[in-house]
Amino acid sequence: MTDTSIQMIVNGQARQFDSDSSRTLLSVLREDLGLTGTKDGCSQGDCGACVVLVDGQPVNSCMVLAPQVRESEVLTVEGLAVNGDFHPLQRAFSETWAFQCGFCTPGMLLSCYALLVSNSEPSREEILTAISGNFCRCTGYQAVVKAVEQAASELREMSGGGDRP
Amino acid sequence: MLTPDYIAPETLEDALSIKSRIGAGAKVIAGGTDLILRMRDRVFEPEVLVDLQRVSLDSIVCDEREMRIGPYVTLSRILNDTAIAALFPALAESCRHFAGPPIRNRGTIGGNIVNASPAADLVPPLLAYDARIVLRSLSGQRELALTDFFTGPGATVMESDEILTEVILPLMPARTASCFLKLGHRRSMAISIVNLCVRLSRDADGTLAAAKIVLGAVAPTPLHAVSAEEFLAGKKLSADQIAGAAKLASDDSSPISDVRASGSYRRQMAEVLVRRALTSVWEELAEENADD
Amino acid sequence: MKEAVNKDTGAVGQWIPATGAEDIVTGAARYCPDIDLPGILTGKLLYSPHARARIRKLDVTAARNMEGVFAVLTHKDVPGENNYLYSQPDQPLLVIDEVRFQGDAVAAVAARDEATADAALQAIEVEYDVLDGIFDPLEAMKDGAEQLVSGEDNVLVSQLYRIGDVASALDSADVIVENTYHTQWAEHAFLETEGSVALVDEEGVLTVYSSCQAPHRDRLQIARSLGMPESMVRVITPYIGGAFGGKDEAHVQMHAALLAVAAGRPVRLIRGRRESILTHVKRHPMSVHCITAATREGRLLAVKARAIADAGPYHNATHEVLNKFGEFIGGPYTVQNLEVELIGVRTNNPISGAFRGFGAPQAAFVYESQMDDLARKLEMDPLELRLLNGVETGTKMYTGVVVREGQAMKASLQKAAQKIGWENRDQQQREPAPHLRRGWGMATILKGSGLGRGLGDHAGVVLEMHQDGSVVLLSGAADMGQGIVTILAQMAADRLGVPMSSVRAVRADTSRAPDAGASCASRQCMVSGNAVLAAADSIRDALLSVAAGKTKISKDRLDLRNGSLLIDGEPHELTIRELARRALFWGYPLHAESKYHFEYPEDVPPGKYRFSQEVFQFCTQVAQVLVDIETGQVTVERLIAVHDAGKMINPGGVYGQIEGGCAQGIGYALTEELVVSEGHTLNPSLENYVIPMALDIPEMEMDVLEIPEPIGAPLGAKGIAESPIIPTAPAIRNAILDATGKPLYRLPMNAERVLASLKS
Repeated sequence: MTDTSIQMIVNGQARQFDSDSSRTLLSVLREDLGLTGTKDGCSQGDCGACVVLVDGQPVNSCMVLAPQVRESEVLTVEGLAVNGDFHPLQRAFSETWAFQCGFCTPGMLLSCYALLVSNSEPSREEILTAISGNFCRCTGYQAVVKAVEQAASELREMSGGGDRP
Repeated sequence: MLTPDYIAPETLEDALSIKSRIGAGAKVIAGGTDLILRMRDRVFEPEVLVDLQRVSLDSIVCDEREMRIGPYVTLSRILNDTAIAALFPALAESCRHFAGPPIRNRGTIGGNIVNASPAADLVPPLLAYDARIVLRSLSGQRELALTDFFTGPGATVMESDEILTEVILPLMPARTASCFLKLGHRRSMAISIVNLCVRLSRDADGTLAAAKIVLGAVAPTPLHAVSAEEFLAGKKLSADQIAGAAKLASDDSSPISDVRASGSYRRQMAEVLVRRALTSVWEELAEENADD
Repeated sequence: MKEAVNKDTGAVGQWIPATGAEDIVTGAARYCPDIDLPGILTGKLLYSPHARARIRKLDVTAARNMEGVFAVLTHKDVPGENNYLYSQPDQPLLVIDEVRFQGDAVAAVAARDEATADAALQAIEVEYDVLDGIFDPLEAMKDGAEQLVSGEDNVLVSQLYRIGDVASALDSADVIVENTYHTQWAEHAFLETEGSVALVDEEGVLTVYSSCQAPHRDRLQIARSLGMPESMVRVITPYIGGAFGGKDEAHVQMHAALLAVAAGRPVRLIRGRRESILTHVKRHPMSVHCITAATREGRLLAVKARAIADAGPYHNATHEVLNKFGEFIGGPYTVQNLEVELIGVRTNNPISGAFRGFGAPQAAFVYESQMDDLARKLEMDPLELRLLNGVETGTKMYTGVVVREGQAMKASLQKAAQKIGWENRDQQQREPAPHLRRGWGMATILKGSGLGRGLGDHAGVVLEMHQDGSVVLLSGAADMGQGIVTILAQMAADRLGVPMSSVRAVRADTSRAPDAGASCASRQCMVSGNAVLAAADSIRDALLSVAAGKTKISKDRLDLRNGSLLIDGEPHELTIRELARRALFWGYPLHAESKYHFEYPEDVPPGKYRFSQEVFQFCTQVAQVLVDIETGQVTVERLIAVHDAGKMINPGGVYGQIEGGCAQGIGYALTEELVVSEGHTLNPSLENYVIPMALDIPEMEMDVLEIPEPIGAPLGAKGIAESPIIPTAPAIRNAILDATGKPLYRLPMNAERVLASLKS
């Protein structure tokens, strides 16, 4: 009854795999596609370690059944750097020590990335809201806010906008 | 647990055929943020998962009488929709503190209704706004008031061959204000200890025309605090009356104790939150009155 | 990535990215769950569904015969020691006859995938005779209570410290504050759950990837459980997703190793989140009766406390945690008369063990709450009371230890008070709305670094420079995110005069690096840091000898910096690379291994406590809270944290530790609590074990004092890893007291409890 062949675009590349409803997007990414950057922190959508973008939206990939993302575009942490150039967020996270153990970082990065796509100058409150589904036990959230502000500023400059007066 | 088949039909008719043929063994999956958990806990063990993402059930349409929301509209979209923010602000508000962004991007209004959790956050506003829903099966469709939908925790009147296809909200009369409040242990990723929606509509002379006070997480189903509503009918609200109504609403509730809170605390909080909600909504109406 | 290094001062003290940052932000960093090997199997453990039961029947035949199952083990299949060796070997790896808590493992399986492993667990036939457990330490302590382990008292620890003359002090006191406090089980909630990957390599060496804090101790435990020589066991630490003490003791490493050997294939065993919460150690819940006596001027005369800790079913760290509790129950104060009775009791509740702070958070909740209750009774400013009694450099503490560097105690108090505007707090709006009350509260604490005098507390390191001037640093210190690998590299880079990019610091691998001991007790910065400096000095000396020979200038005028030789402070054309080439050509070894022992000066008398600590982290936190007096909900509006680090090797790491620790402290104060009934955890999920998230934590205002620790601190730096979590709960408690007038004596101070206090 079910066609288990699934095609989707992951980090800009067309990928195909077979899966029934027993697998999640998270397990397909990690096991079938070897993209182990996205982590499993709780397997039930409580912690955000597994956040990836599906069609531009941050979602808990542990709570998405593999067949549900047929034909979708998925972005994982492995897809943030372009041609070896780090995304400003990746640089900023490193510079502000927005992580320590790093296990929450891939999910956190994707939540922040999605925010900056739709909001080029987010307020502190907006940043905290964007990461309110991402749990960090090592570092807290202040350095993440700083990193996002730093990256946002850099992105605005790159796009010629500069800082708003 | 056997792995369920997964189907994403192209048309609603195809989906209804499956439901007609398989019944309760075919479960509709939208965002899955609740369903998947229940499947893992073996509360449900469906044979087939029916995903309606290809069927256009995610529209928000508004005319001069009502707004019609498809069940697959996500909580994020509701939160960001300008029409909903203007016309049904408590509904938008109920999505604002719902879990976190990744869950809001998947969770849907249909899912929140059909899961029928007594603590469902969207349901009190929907009830306060007199929502109706459309249930369709192969043999036809029926429209019913949402207030007639819930029968117990996780239980509804939906038949095994039916699919929820629409949520209808009548436009509110002029001089209406509403508010949604939620009490949780933290500001995100929190299941409501108590939640509620208060919607008041005022007559031109300033008296109360309609009062809706709906509480969640304090009874087996979302609770219409009818005695409180009747108590306030036709009045111009004073602090004493608000306090009285809050007490009545709290008395109507029958909350359980669980790992999040005791029943006694929930009952106390019902009173506090109803009072706060009534106060703020009445003040908002009074300000509008001043503009009349 | 660009190296943001100050060329003049080098890497130490610089806010440079963590070693491995690039791997982390690109997803390339591999943690145990990410390690994939050909033929790898999935390992899983079967746990007891009961808190206490006898195993009547255990039959794994059906599971063993399942297709896709490669090994099923019970206690009979453990060739060596079937137990954990934290302090006493009483917790079995696989239960023999009686399960003593919900987290006791009964069997282990290795199968081709997770679904098959689950099916194998289901196929194991096990029958239990459920026994009546004991779930209240007071019940377990009673005369005539059933011995939970036959022949053994349920009271595992009973220790009394009596210092000075408490009885007389109590008699002569003008004011007495007497209260009973209760603290809760707390869960570490590291984001990466416990896990391990084990395989036997081509040489027959059992290699175990371990998400751990003590790789060399893990190696010892694995060897003794497998009945193998340690020389045939290798433990490697991949990236580790947090630990906070919860991975100090071994968890699934021995099980993974046993399965890999039995199956003849690599095995990856990762605990699920629910499983993790149910099975691994928790912070000891404690009940503490405390009497604090003072003069009417506020001088502390005596502290008398009786503490009862729920150990759970096994010894684990109960003795050690209680010892630390007892060591710090007097606070950073000059009180000289102290009596503390420490009782650790066996129950069938979840197992208690190490968690950041190790008894100090419970102690601080008690003594800092006592101080504010005392201040109220005396109608004294809480700040003044603390300053009056605060230790200073040279103070001989009740523990018998003389405070070597104590400026930070009062300095942190005063700084924190100044930052929050303590003097003017009464001019601020205390009642911003009819249902809201604002308040301010402080707590000042001390915590020791190092394992304590009398314990083997040492670390080794290997440092090697190559012909091209590149350096390899091999430390056995586990980096769980706290950044030890990074700061060791910074210290080595600076001491050798090379840029950070020249130093490759390898994550702990027991076959390459010497034992550095566990990453615990805030010790690694000090022991491993000193070891690195000593090793670097050795290589530096060799390079300078070569340089002196070449330039004919005496060594005392030479230096190494930024990759070059300096003569009298001026850069010379001779590069370090050239010096290294010459040195190695002529046979000067540029390889150093050094061992550093935590320094306890001989001429300093030991403290009265077993394993007294002598290096102290002082810190003060001040909280501003807003209490909703109708719901009981508490919002922390501001949190000031002033800590003394001695010297910050990397400020990024220090601020991260402080903020993260404060966030944990807020959770411990207000919402985190394992709810346990009849030995069963009712909230084993991150949904219902409530930890504050981004919208719940205020913007923290942190300040770090750098008052160099004079002895045994590399470049003056001392550990600060534990102190951030310690003062937060009492600071918030005291702020709530200030806001509402109601003292609280039980953690967490959740909304229901706060509301109840308001109604009483």
